[in-house]
Amino acid sequence: MATIEIENKEFKVDGDGFLINPDIWNEDVAKLFAKSDGIEEMNEKHWAIVNIIRQNYEEKGMAPMIRTICQETGLRLREIYELFPLGPARGACRVAGLPKPDGCV
Amino acid sequence: MENLTQEKIDKGLEVFENFKDSKLLTHLNSCVHCGLCAESCIYYLTDHNEKYIPAKKVDLVASIYRRYKTFIGKIAPKLVGARELNNETVEEMIDLLFGACAMCGRCVSHCSIGVDISYLVSTGRKMLSNMGYVPESLQATVNAAIETGNNMGISDQDFVDTLTWLEDDLRFEVNDDNAKIYLNEKGKDILYTLNPREPKFFPLSISAMAKIFHVAKESWTLSTKMYDVTNYAYYSGNNEEAAIISQRLYDEIFNLNAKTCVLAECGHGSRAFRWEGPNYIQKEYPFDVTTSVEFIGKYIREGKIIVDPEKIQQKVTLHDPCNLARSGGVIDEQRYILEKSVKNFIEMSPTKADNLCCGGGGGQLAMSEYNDRRMKIAELKAEQIRKTGAEIVVTPCHNCADQLIQINAAFKLNVQIKTIAEIVADAIVMP
Repeated sequence: MATIEIENKEFKVDGDGFLINPDIWNEDVAKLFAKSDGIEEMNEKHWAIVNIIRQNYEEKGMAPMIRTICQETGLRLREIYELFPLGPARGACRVAGLPKPDGCV
Repeated sequence: MENLTQEKIDKGLEVFENFKDSKLLTHLNSCVHCGLCAESCIYYLTDHNEKYIPAKKVDLVASIYRRYKTFIGKIAPKLVGARELNNETVEEMIDLLFGACAMCGRCVSHCSIGVDISYLVSTGRKMLSNMGYVPESLQATVNAAIETGNNMGISDQDFVDTLTWLEDDLRFEVNDDNAKIYLNEKGKDILYTLNPREPKFFPLSISAMAKIFHVAKESWTLSTKMYDVTNYAYYSGNNEEAAIISQRLYDEIFNLNAKTCVLAECGHGSRAFRWEGPNYIQKEYPFDVTTSVEFIGKYIREGKIIVDPEKIQQKVTLHDPCNLARSGGVIDEQRYILEKSVKNFIEMSPTKADNLCCGGGGGQLAMSEYNDRRMKIAELKAEQIRKTGAEIVVTPCHNCADQLIQINAAFKLNVQIKTIAEIVADAIVMP
């Protein structure tokens, strides 16, 4: 376990910087995590992606498939990679406050 | 860490018993401490701490062997540098063998006498696995594979829905309403596999490979039951779990009556099934196993697909996955493909069998515990890429691809990361 500090706020995270306790997540946390990844301002598209990931996590306990993210948000695949340069897992899922997904991500 | 019980110690020491050949004994007793391996190791090159020297990692395992399995080690351990298997030793083993080795094997090819250092690191990991000390995050990935059939816990329904969605795209892309992503079809020539990361988050490579198969008029299928090319038990050191995973793919090739298993772009996965698999399951394969890289090369050579390098004008470099290139011998094929498919291909240095690991190998990408160290050693790869001036980095490995995505962001390289199938699909000329 580690602690990261973003704009004077401290968060307990795993070694990859994912929140240890996903329940403390809120929109301010998302903004701060996005900022630490170089996303200065979360736009509507960022929020659409983060919200669908969060919703899926709260309902099913895991990140949604990229297909679900595309279909629910109406965004194209390549747009999602551009919006979150670290990808859907290390980028979007981290901003959405999820634990790190297993596997090669 | 709780105190080690005698039972645990005995479990750990089992790795020094019942071996089938002399390989382990030979390699445990061969290191001459010449130190040539030091400068080959990405951990030592990053941080000149002697604990990172590969020979030190070898000695960590060998010293335990000497303490419990040699006469002089038993009666006068200090004389031969023999070590007790105690808490301190175990903590050092976890830190160095799991946390500071990408099992990239570069030290093996630099070793003056050919000690298989990765194999000894793997033996050390097996000891830790026997004792129950696999890092939690790595074990979670193995567990997901064993329990759900794939390392990301994707449900069958989600998998099938994703392929249906991609099939729609494929039909549009190749302008053919009959184009298909075949699923669970018996009697096809090829059973293709995937890294679960593809259907879950990065499906462009599935679309790319489907397009290549379509144009080459290949007889192929995927399986819902067993498509996962990865085998993280190869990294955790648990051969029993590695055998379960290998056996599943073996069984599915039989079940679908496929002639050839084509492994997706995955360094450790191709190694684990193609080269380690027969040892895990103690059976020879009565079918062919190859990699998609070799298959794509064959298609270009035989004219089954035609690529036009004019379509890709950007500068392209290539990262060699350690398990595919250095350890698997697939070195020329990806170069042949790139020379045919892109206008401006430039090698990084060092390259081919001497290329540096991206830092994500050895299960490092799955182990959150050592994230800081992983991103620190990644600077070597970032510099290699930067020096090429490339705009696109191609790598035939999804694990490397993910590490490269992080390197790209952390070191602000401003490059695109693509698999071989993705770059070929971009260069393909539709018949």
